[in-house]
Amino acid sequence: MSAIIVDNISKKFRIPHEKKNTVFQHIVGLMKRQFDYEEFWALKDVSFEVNKGEALGIIGRNGSGKSTLLKILARVLYPDSGSVSLNGKVASFLQLGVGFQSELTARENVYIYSSILGLKRKQVDGIYDDIFDFAELKKFENMKLKNFSSGMNLRLAFSTAVYAIPDTLLMDEVLAVGDETFQKKCQDKMSQFQAEGKTIVFVSHSLTAVKELCQRTMLLNEGRIVTMGDTEKVIKDYLAMLQRGTPH
Amino acid sequence: MSGRGNLKFTLYGGDTEPLSSYNINHKMWQYRELIWNLTAVDLKNRYQNTSIGFLWSLLSPLLMALVLYIIFRHIFGREENFAINLLVGIMCWRFFAGGTTSSLRAIVGRAGLVTKVYIPRQILVLSNVLANIISSLLEFIVLLPILFVLLGHLPVTVFLFPLIHIIYFWFIYGAGLLLSALYVYFRDLNQIWQVLTQILFFCSPIVYPLSMIPASIMPYYLVNPVTLFIGMYRDVMVAGDLPSLYSIVVVIGFAFAAYLVGSVVFNKLQRRFAEEM
Repeated sequence: MSAIIVDNISKKFRIPHEKKNTVFQHIVGLMKRQFDYEEFWALKDVSFEVNKGEALGIIGRNGSGKSTLLKILARVLYPDSGSVSLNGKVASFLQLGVGFQSELTARENVYIYSSILGLKRKQVDGIYDDIFDFAELKKFENMKLKNFSSGMNLRLAFSTAVYAIPDTLLMDEVLAVGDETFQKKCQDKMSQFQAEGKTIVFVSHSLTAVKELCQRTMLLNEGRIVTMGDTEKVIKDYLAMLQRGTPH
Repeated sequence: MSGRGNLKFTLYGGDTEPLSSYNINHKMWQYRELIWNLTAVDLKNRYQNTSIGFLWSLLSPLLMALVLYIIFRHIFGREENFAINLLVGIMCWRFFAGGTTSSLRAIVGRAGLVTKVYIPRQILVLSNVLANIISSLLEFIVLLPILFVLLGHLPVTVFLFPLIHIIYFWFIYGAGLLLSALYVYFRDLNQIWQVLTQILFFCSPIVYPLSMIPASIMPYYLVNPVTLFIGMYRDVMVAGDLPSLYSIVVVIGFAFAAYLVGSVVFNKLQRRFAEEM
C-alpha cells in the first residue's frame, strides 16, 4: 500500500528582476512596463511512490529541489501541475517548535504545538507526562519559554512532535541540531518509528544519516529525479556525479 | 499505523484541490482546538503585556469617547442621547478598526505557521478576529451599566445585540481574509489601510448625527456598511427600536459579499504565501 503517491508534479518559482512588494512599486512597474521575471523550475515532472512503512531518503546538491519537494509533501507549497496523494496522518518537521510562544509556559506551549500537529486536547492529556519525561523537563513545566535555553526548547519541541504519532513523517535535517546525546535519542526514536511501520521521508546532506535510516533513496538534480533505488547504489552515483561536477 | 482510525486520503495539487467553502470550513472544524488556542494566545499577549491589562482596553474607548464628547458637545450636544450614541458608535467602530487592522498581520505575523507546517491558513485570520470579538464583547458588557445610568432603563431590544454582532463578525472576518492575503503581496497596505480607516471614521455617523448628512448625498453615504451597523446597534441599544427588515437584509448582504470576496481571494493567493514570505 502506498503512503505517498506523487504524480508528475512540477513547481515553478517566479524570480522577478526587481522584487516588487508594495502597491507603490506595482504602480511604478505598470507604468514602466516591467512585467518581466525569470521562471525557474524548481521541480519538473517528478513522479514517485513511497510505500507504507518505508523510509525514503532524498539527496542532491544545493538547489536541486529537495526542500521544495518536501515542502510540497508537507502541503506548505502548492505544485503548479500534477498531484500528490497522502495516505494517513502526515506530520512535517521542517522546523521544530513552530508556533512556540515565548511568553507562555512550557505546559501551554505543549498544548498549542500539539494542536498545530492536529491533536485533540484529550489526546494530549494522555501523553502529557510522556512528553515531559522524554524531554527531561518535568521540573520546568510551568516556566515561561523565554527562560528556556535553546537546547531545552528543542527537547520540548522534539518530544511533543514524536508523541504526536503521525503515520508519515517528513523531515528536513531537523535532527542535525542538538548535542550528541540528543541526536542519539532522536535516532533511536526514528528507528523505533520504522519498527512500528511508520513512513519516513528524510531530506539530508548527511549521507551517513541517510544510509543509516533509509532503504531507498532518491537523487535529485535540477528539479528532476536522476535515479531512485537502493540507498547504497544511489549514494555511489551521487558521489560520482559530484566528482564529475556534472549531472548524468 | 497509529490505530486511532483517522486515516485520511488527501488529494491535492494542480487543479485537483477542491475550493468549495464547505470543504475549507470542514477542514477548519477539525482544527477547532488550534483555533481556540491561537485565540487564547492572542488575548493573553494582548492583555498580559500591559501592567493593568484588560483595564486598558476598556479605558481607551471610554477616554476617546470623553475627548470626543468634550470637543463636539457644543456642536451636537443638543441631539438626543448624544453621549450614549457616541459611546455605542465608538465601541462599534473599534471592533471594525481593530479587527481589520490586526487581520492585516494575521498571516505575515505568523510566518512559521505558514512556511513550516500545514494548517488551513484561514485559521490564522479567524482566531485573530475571534480575539477581537471577545474584546469587543467585554467592552459592550461594560457599556451596559453606563447605558442603564444614562438612559434610566435598558431597552428590551438589547437582546438582538448578539445577532447583530454575529453578522458584524462575519463581515469583519471576510474583510480580514481579504486584507491579510493582500498584505502578503503588498506590504504598504497597512499604511494605505490606516488612511482608509481614518477616512471611513469620518464618513460614519460616530461623532455627528446621521441627520446632518444632506439628503442629496444620503444614498452614497449609506453605501458604507459601518454606518448601517452603527445605526442598528443604536436602534436596539439606545432607541429601543427593532431594526428595519431592510437594513438587516442589507447588512447580511454586505457580510456575505465580504466573506465571499475574502474567501475567494484568500484561496487564490494562499497558494503562494510560503513563497512570498
